[in-house]
Amino acid sequence: MNYLIPMMIGASDMAFPRLNAFGFWLAVPASIILLSSLALGGFDTGWTGYPPLSVRAPIGIQMFFLGVFLAGMGTILSSLNILTTVIRLRATGMTGFRMPIFVWGSLATSFISMTATQLIGLSFQMVMFERLFGMGFFDPAKGGNPILFQHLFWFYSHPAVYVFVLPGLGIISELLPVFARKPLYGYKWVAISSFGIALIGFLVWGHHMFASGMAQYLRVPFMYSTLLVAVPTGVKFFSWLGTLWRGKIIFPVPMLFVLAGIVVFLLGGLTGPPNATVATDLHLTDTYFIVGHFHDTMFGGYIFPFFAAIYYWFPKMTGRRMNETLGKIHFWLMAPAFIVLSTLMMRIGLLGMRRRIADYDPALHVTIDHTVMTVAGFLVGLGILVFIINAFWSMRNGEIASGNVWNSRSPEWQVPSPMPVHNYDKPFEVVGDPYDYGLPGSVYVRFKEEE
Amino acid sequence: MEHGSKSSALNFGMIVLGALAILTAIEFAIAITINIWQVLALIPILKALLVGYYYMHITRVFEEDKDANRESFSYKLATNRIGLWLFLISDSFIFGGLMISRINLLGLTRPDLIQVLGLGVTSVLLISSFFANRAEVSMEYGDRKRFIRSISAAIGLGVLFLIGVLGVEWRLAPFGPETNLAGAVFYVMTGFHAFHVFTGVIFLVIVLRNGLHGLYSAEKHWAVEASAVYWHFVDVVWFFFYPALYLIGTLAQ
Repeated sequence: MNYLIPMMIGASDMAFPRLNAFGFWLAVPASIILLSSLALGGFDTGWTGYPPLSVRAPIGIQMFFLGVFLAGMGTILSSLNILTTVIRLRATGMTGFRMPIFVWGSLATSFISMTATQLIGLSFQMVMFERLFGMGFFDPAKGGNPILFQHLFWFYSHPAVYVFVLPGLGIISELLPVFARKPLYGYKWVAISSFGIALIGFLVWGHHMFASGMAQYLRVPFMYSTLLVAVPTGVKFFSWLGTLWRGKIIFPVPMLFVLAGIVVFLLGGLTGPPNATVATDLHLTDTYFIVGHFHDTMFGGYIFPFFAAIYYWFPKMTGRRMNETLGKIHFWLMAPAFIVLSTLMMRIGLLGMRRRIADYDPALHVTIDHTVMTVAGFLVGLGILVFIINAFWSMRNGEIASGNVWNSRSPEWQVPSPMPVHNYDKPFEVVGDPYDYGLPGSVYVRFKEEE
Repeated sequence: MEHGSKSSALNFGMIVLGALAILTAIEFAIAITINIWQVLALIPILKALLVGYYYMHITRVFEEDKDANRESFSYKLATNRIGLWLFLISDSFIFGGLMISRINLLGLTRPDLIQVLGLGVTSVLLISSFFANRAEVSMEYGDRKRFIRSISAAIGLGVLFLIGVLGVEWRLAPFGPETNLAGAVFYVMTGFHAFHVFTGVIFLVIVLRNGLHGLYSAEKHWAVEASAVYWHFVDVVWFFFYPALYLIGTLAQ
């Protein structure tokens, strides 16, 4: 995001370049501390770090908390940087509804991570203080409340999934018109729906706690707010279908990943309501059904669009194209295997397979499913291996592509690749709507001549 | 600035301080007499609005650009203001989380603390905030001497606040962080806040040092403004923490 956004809005750099670098390099100590956790006893709690287990577990969990805390700090700094950049440094004429749609998704994401991340930092710090100084926040013996941790934790960690997904959905909306050669259907509604998802996302955290002893009367409001998320998400799906409808679709590798993303995200989206509804969730909670749902939303909303974005903007970054054949191999290894994997996860979840355990009762009759899932998992991994080889190979030997490879209308494709260090030599002016593909005579950006 | 001359701007700062002092006194009087928590929750909001509007100049964020040139100082200044305020919004979430934890864990009880001492440190921080504003206004009119004096006073009072909370209150409190829930809440809230005060003091000291070296002028003094705004923010946080820890409710056992 920090690379693409200044480029898409016509800025030479982020608003605060030094802050940007600081936030990025915080990732180094954060990763070192996180990895050291593995050597110091690991974190038995999983990523959620629920007390009381996280208070009693070995010192590794302390390192886990610290690492996540530092990483979170980097996120906060970089998100307020993105917000400021988009508010202040847009090109002349680029009004809110003329921004590329990816920028909207990133704005919504930054808004979430700027505010909610503080709460996970706080909850993790409170556990650390409980460990270090014996403060009894989450210790019922001292009058504390372990549920409080879950509230603080999920207040961040539910919006956190939108932090992943919103830029991903933005990429889908960004790339789809390019490859369907049609205007993005309902641009304004798609832009607003990103913020709709972000805002509703703040009010749904309780659905992670239906079965955890949260106050009973909170269940139904959280159920309804969670189901409400489907509305702005539905807007996006409607727009995607409307964009594809009767378009002159072409299928290079990025488009394949975009389409896979849409399909998989649809699977993930449709399996959401059963989890959001209290009655069904009490049966499904902590089963593989949740795991399957989560993988579908993450792969559909984040991983597939992520690969699409890499294939799409790789020429912009390096001046060379990635190999199409290897890209197609990557896609056909990964996408079908992944769909098999996640669907089977949901099947065995419905049959009663619990998550977070290493073994299971053979009487569940899920051994064959598990075997197939393992094979599928390795195929996904193999696909990603192909991708990595492709990326390194293409960086050196890829076909040279300095022009507008995808016939995109975005400003960054109107100048030769790779991008110069400070993006644009000449400032440009936005004179039209961003996604008027196929409309004769429409212009999005016009470069100013020498002044 | 629309308040005419320098002396009237300085006087205006004093009027705001007076209003804040009166509100703080009313707050304390209500707490030791009738103790209605709704009123005690309302007063900090009023104080925060006063400081936010008159000391932190929140309206400056929404000012139109006078200069369209992106490389100009005024354009970058406005960008910096937005960045700072976004940071404050972000930071306020962690304090909001602390308040929510305190409400959840303690409800209408409070830790067993010396209320007069709380009033004392609150006043110290309030006056310090006033001096930070005075330093900024002086710099705006190019009065370097008064700027140096005022910012030194703000730093001194900030350090006094830290001594009051960490040196005196933490020693006198009849409980440790592990004794009971009230202790845990008290130490984590004051600790988080004191850390921010500490960073604010460092920030002010750097600004003072640069001011002594003559780095600021009436036109260009963004660092002075930023440090003052951050300092006021720390003060505003304490507006909420002070009644939450010292005033509201009955004593926790």
